[in-house]
Amino acid sequence: MPRYREVVREPGEAVMLGNAAIARGFLEAGLQFAASYPGTPSTEITEALAYAYKTLGWPVVQWSVNEKVALESALGAAIAGLRSFAGMKHVGLNVASDPFFSSAYLGVEGALVVVSADDPWMWSSQNEQDNRWYGVHAYVFTVEPKGVQDAKEAACHALEWSAMLKRPVLLRITTRIAHSRTSFKLGPLKRIPIEGRFEKNPQRWTLIPEFARRHRLELLRYWEELKAKAHQFPLNVVEGEGDVAVLASGIGYRYAKEALEELGLEAKVFGLSTPVPLPDKFAEELSQFEKVVVVEEGEPVVELQLRAALQELGSKAKVFGKTDGSVRLYGELDLEDVKELLAKVFGVEYGRPKALEPPKMPPRPPVLCPGCPYRSYFYALKRAVNRLRVEPVYSGDIGCYSLGINKPFEVQDIIIDMGASIGAGIGLSKALKDRVVISIIGDSTFFHSGMTALADAVYNRAPLLVIVLDNFTTAMTGHQPHPGIGVDAAMRPAPRIEIESVVRGLGVEKVVTVDAFNILESQRGTEEALRYVLENKKPAVVIARGACALVALAQARKRKVEVPKYYVDESKCTACGICYTAFNCPAILKREDGKAWIDPALCVGCAQCEQICPFGAFVPEKRVKEWERLLRTARPG
Amino acid sequence: MGALAQNRQAGVRGLKLEVVIAGVGGQGLITLADLIAKSARRAGNDVVVAETHGLSQRGGSVVVYVRINGSAPLVSEGRGDLMLAMELIEAVRYSKFLKPGARVVANDYLVPPPLPGLEPPKREELVEFLNKNFSLELVDATKRALDMGDVRVANVILLGRALKVGAFDGFFSAEDVEEVIREAWGPGRNLEALRAA
Repeated sequence: MPRYREVVREPGEAVMLGNAAIARGFLEAGLQFAASYPGTPSTEITEALAYAYKTLGWPVVQWSVNEKVALESALGAAIAGLRSFAGMKHVGLNVASDPFFSSAYLGVEGALVVVSADDPWMWSSQNEQDNRWYGVHAYVFTVEPKGVQDAKEAACHALEWSAMLKRPVLLRITTRIAHSRTSFKLGPLKRIPIEGRFEKNPQRWTLIPEFARRHRLELLRYWEELKAKAHQFPLNVVEGEGDVAVLASGIGYRYAKEALEELGLEAKVFGLSTPVPLPDKFAEELSQFEKVVVVEEGEPVVELQLRAALQELGSKAKVFGKTDGSVRLYGELDLEDVKELLAKVFGVEYGRPKALEPPKMPPRPPVLCPGCPYRSYFYALKRAVNRLRVEPVYSGDIGCYSLGINKPFEVQDIIIDMGASIGAGIGLSKALKDRVVISIIGDSTFFHSGMTALADAVYNRAPLLVIVLDNFTTAMTGHQPHPGIGVDAAMRPAPRIEIESVVRGLGVEKVVTVDAFNILESQRGTEEALRYVLENKKPAVVIARGACALVALAQARKRKVEVPKYYVDESKCTACGICYTAFNCPAILKREDGKAWIDPALCVGCAQCEQICPFGAFVPEKRVKEWERLLRTARPG
Repeated sequence: MGALAQNRQAGVRGLKLEVVIAGVGGQGLITLADLIAKSARRAGNDVVVAETHGLSQRGGSVVVYVRINGSAPLVSEGRGDLMLAMELIEAVRYSKFLKPGARVVANDYLVPPPLPGLEPPKREELVEFLNKNFSLELVDATKRALDMGDVRVANVILLGRALKVGAFDGFFSAEDVEEVIREAWGPGRNLEALRAA
């Protein structure tokens, strides 16, 4: 089933993923230009737009090298009059925060919507920052859909309002909006031809101090005007009557409404889709109540603005929210939590449903897939390190290889942010006199922010071994292309930037490329580079190359290439356990008698196990040359 | 009253059905939730599905929530009316989201977490726990799917059995699901799988 078919469908009704609905909303509002860096839970918006480009021929869609470049690209297009969007996960906006602040000062000619996909409780992230703070911090009008149900309309109106205000708009979504599915009413698509224009006007478009000061004053004026009219945003609703007011922002609206309905309570509900700035009109109305409950996902962004406004207005209203401990300050909202809070505020009895305490189950962390070239490379890396008798500190990074944190490999000692494997590796290598530091970074992350850090490592003579794991894709987020692959967002041929050339161009003198599926070659190449670092006290780079097995399998299905299975020759297996302990492929299981067994439903015939078994017990049904080639070359597209 | 009209009654009456879908990344849980959502919508219900993407796909533990005629996306602990589980360890792990006595339709299939040195729980213990606390319906969905020559249809077999035991009665029917499958993939293996249950 094509994943994004509904995004380009004729008007009507369709069940869609929230992110796909956001893409549709943009297309209904005449989006012309999109630039993003993939990151869970934001990725599908841009994938859906790329699908639209492939089927409709518009809008322009780009995967950028990182979020900063994505936002700058979208801002540039918006300065030239286009309706633009830049998409990223919440921590991506940290990377893009510099142009984000400047965009607020400059404004736009067309429209600019920045989507930040926040991830409360960190399902796929390193923190749970609430990016509505960026709206407060940078003076950027911030919109959040009232649940997935509003996702499409919120995107549509955000782009329209940006065009009307000639200012950037931050569209803040969370995991349960991005990755929830519901039915949407689809309106007509609006195609606006690209006719960018630019008139020289340095006072308007350059932020040198003289002009920036004027922009600053204009921005403050704009902000006050916005507070006076933000209540008119079409998705803001005020419903019901009662002595208690509920100010429910974004997805909090769904929880508040359902909780009130289940408890049979009446309240005046302010369903807020514009958390930043808090509209004056709502603050004034809320100041008349004795009790106000604030329900919002994330941090008390709306609540603190409300408390400030209530104090200014001399209101006696008691506010229940996150700063007074009425609602948890971490994690996602929960319907039963909201019901308990409302029952307490209304003074009614409520007992939450009793849940069973199931027996404790073993954890099931995500693992490297069967056939992942990172597994064979990590195995080779451990052997190289053992042979040279060093005990490295592994400076980790963000991508599938983060899974190397687990046993048996344990090759991610620190994980900070995108690109930090090299940046932090520089400091570690200078601090640790008797330990060698190994930075492990993926191909997409290398282009994102590894390149600049590597230049620094060369310049500052950091004795660092950098391993670039190149699987020709941004794998963790679902196989988006990047500059090292040779295809663009629409999977058309594009210039390919060779990682070796980049690394050499940055001044690295020792560069070794290995086939990640070949364990002996990987081990020898890594030893050679590691020895160079130890002897020369300078950085060296290993590029370990092998296709993502999931991409290779998809290509094999498409091209009708047979994927052979391996099986265990029981007469040779000695039950030594190397394969299911030190190598740990999910397709290799331990039998009752300690011998190995391969689950044919999981095996992808990658031939790695054949190289690690000392007794030759792993045997392929057959050898398929074309499959071996795909494992080393397959790219998305 | 026709079947469709009967189905639509649930939404009109404001009845909710809270479904927990549990399993291991790669077992087709999101597709299963999508089928349920589209079928429920076809029969006139409101529906919200909250999915697990990203990191959790790599063979990790996955839970998906489907709330029919609800508005918020997540199922709170102790509220679930129904569980569809593609794997037994995950069925037990996420059973805290169910009401005591809720219906559990589970694939009779155990995937040991690939952690070196781990002794996985025994199938019998898991089945006993589920049997004791819930109304359990075991289905050998993976085995049947392998017999049909495509392990990927196990999720549809599980859904077929859930429909057969009446897990979605009053919300949508097997005909709704068949129509959604036909629209998505045309007639073929998935339709066969749905009926094979």
